[in-house]
Amino acid sequence: MIEYVSVILPYVTTILLISSIYAVFALGLNLEWGFTGLINFGHAAFFAIGAYTTVMLNISGCPLVLSVAAGVVLAGLFGLLLGIPTLRLREDYLAIVTIGFSEVVRYILLNEEWLTRGPFGIHGFERPLQDVIPYQYYNTFLLILFVAILGIVYLSIEKLVRSPCGRVMKSIREDETVPSALGKNVFSYKLQSLAIGSAIAGLAGAMLAFYLQYIDPGTFKPIETFHAWIIVVLGGTASNRGTIVGALILWTFFSATKFINPYLPFTSHQMGAFRMIMIGLLLMLLMMYKPEGIFGKKEELALSD
Amino acid sequence: MERKRNSHYLIDPDPVTLMDILSVRNLRKHFGGVKAVDGCSLTIRAGTVVGLIGPNGAGKTTVFNLISGFEKGSGEIIFKGRRTDNLPPFKVAQCGMVRTFQIPRALTKMTVLENLMLAPKAQAGERIWNVWLRRKDVKEQERQIKEKSRHILRFFEIAHLEDEYAGALSGGQKKLLEMARAMMIDPSLMMLDEPFAGVNPTLSQKISEYIDELRGGGMTFLIIEHDIPAITRISDRITVMNEGKILTEGAPDEVKQNREVLNVYLGGEG
Repeated sequence: MIEYVSVILPYVTTILLISSIYAVFALGLNLEWGFTGLINFGHAAFFAIGAYTTVMLNISGCPLVLSVAAGVVLAGLFGLLLGIPTLRLREDYLAIVTIGFSEVVRYILLNEEWLTRGPFGIHGFERPLQDVIPYQYYNTFLLILFVAILGIVYLSIEKLVRSPCGRVMKSIREDETVPSALGKNVFSYKLQSLAIGSAIAGLAGAMLAFYLQYIDPGTFKPIETFHAWIIVVLGGTASNRGTIVGALILWTFFSATKFINPYLPFTSHQMGAFRMIMIGLLLMLLMMYKPEGIFGKKEELALSD
Repeated sequence: MERKRNSHYLIDPDPVTLMDILSVRNLRKHFGGVKAVDGCSLTIRAGTVVGLIGPNGAGKTTVFNLISGFEKGSGEIIFKGRRTDNLPPFKVAQCGMVRTFQIPRALTKMTVLENLMLAPKAQAGERIWNVWLRRKDVKEQERQIKEKSRHILRFFEIAHLEDEYAGALSGGQKKLLEMARAMMIDPSLMMLDEPFAGVNPTLSQKISEYIDELRGGGMTFLIIEHDIPAITRISDRITVMNEGKILTEGAPDEVKQNREVLNVYLGGEG
């Protein structure tokens, strides 16, 4: 029995750790898409900027807390910079530009070896309180830390979307002509939403680096952006609670399918593809029977009209 | 039926209300080869109701779009003494001009109350940092805005719908909602695009009464409308447009007798 717990517990911890990272990551996207209606297909870029800034600053001697702060700020700043030329475009163009941006970022990380060590990736950076917490308890500590961060991010976004500022964002999501006609600077709100969403992705990037202890450009492929999208759509667009549950479901599913792999006639490579097929099927069923997602409100479904 | 002019002002009209609130000079807008608005000039005195009529395609809605900044053309627009033709729509609105749309743009996925609470300008809580830094002010202001919203919803007799999603409202109720929402920013000029279209006679009557009452409070109106009996009933002046130009302008009774207007628009029914 005790043996059983000692196997299960670290496994559950791992799922919760990765889920909490992706929950934070997807909460950023939910602010942009769920509450403001911005189609950002380059969310992974800000994940990468946050992670790389944090670890690169840290290995060159910057204190960890400052490194994380810099990662968050820089990710937000890049969101702002990307938003200035693109947020005046129609939303489908925004989608195209952002996906291009995320690939540009990844290729820079891959090719500027003098700065980022390119494909070799970076390891050997500090983790929070790593000298204080005994190694066997470290993941438990990290989980507590990540859940606390997730809680703070969740509460902050909830507060924001329920404020007058969030009300303007929701009105932009629905029909930006209306807030314009009422004297709201729509562009400025979109910019703020993108910057904050990106900064949150940057924070998630730092969390991911602490969890993996190693990052390389391959960690931040476009699929990460779509993981965030799956999480948001699954949990319910414009529901922060749903986003957290969505992250938990997705990563539980990913891990569970690893367990059943031995019982299926697939190689591990084929299994990866099979998992994505299953996810695709799941999303299709969701769109057919519960398009608003698990916690989404039908009346607020952002896709319908 | 002669209305008693000026007798129903709730407050004494201040000097500003006697001025021209809006003056438009030589407005032009072309879409490809189509001259939608072709040298249009008009002046609106503060505290009056001006009807803008004309056949379909006369350019009325384009004039609205130009005045409210949603489209850019050439010409001069002066609102309350300030050039507004180069301003983006949100800045024009901030000057105190608000418009509604031909097809009502209720925010259907927000509640009726939220629709109204969105509107007031310069809300402290619209600034992102204030959400955390000035919690008390934001909360107090939200309370006031909610109170004002409910007051206006009662005025338009849709207070019982405050928690409904605006998408659940009927077409006529959406029109009232749009007017109520516009009221929330305390505009000096309200531009209504076909407020009576597709509205049943009792509601139409009610809308006229609201406009009359608001005008009595000193508000100025520019109204596009095809419902001639309704628009002549509530307007002080009527401007007739045809093919992008102003055909004529005058008191409702004069305009109704105008031969050119009869020809191009009213079809001899006057």
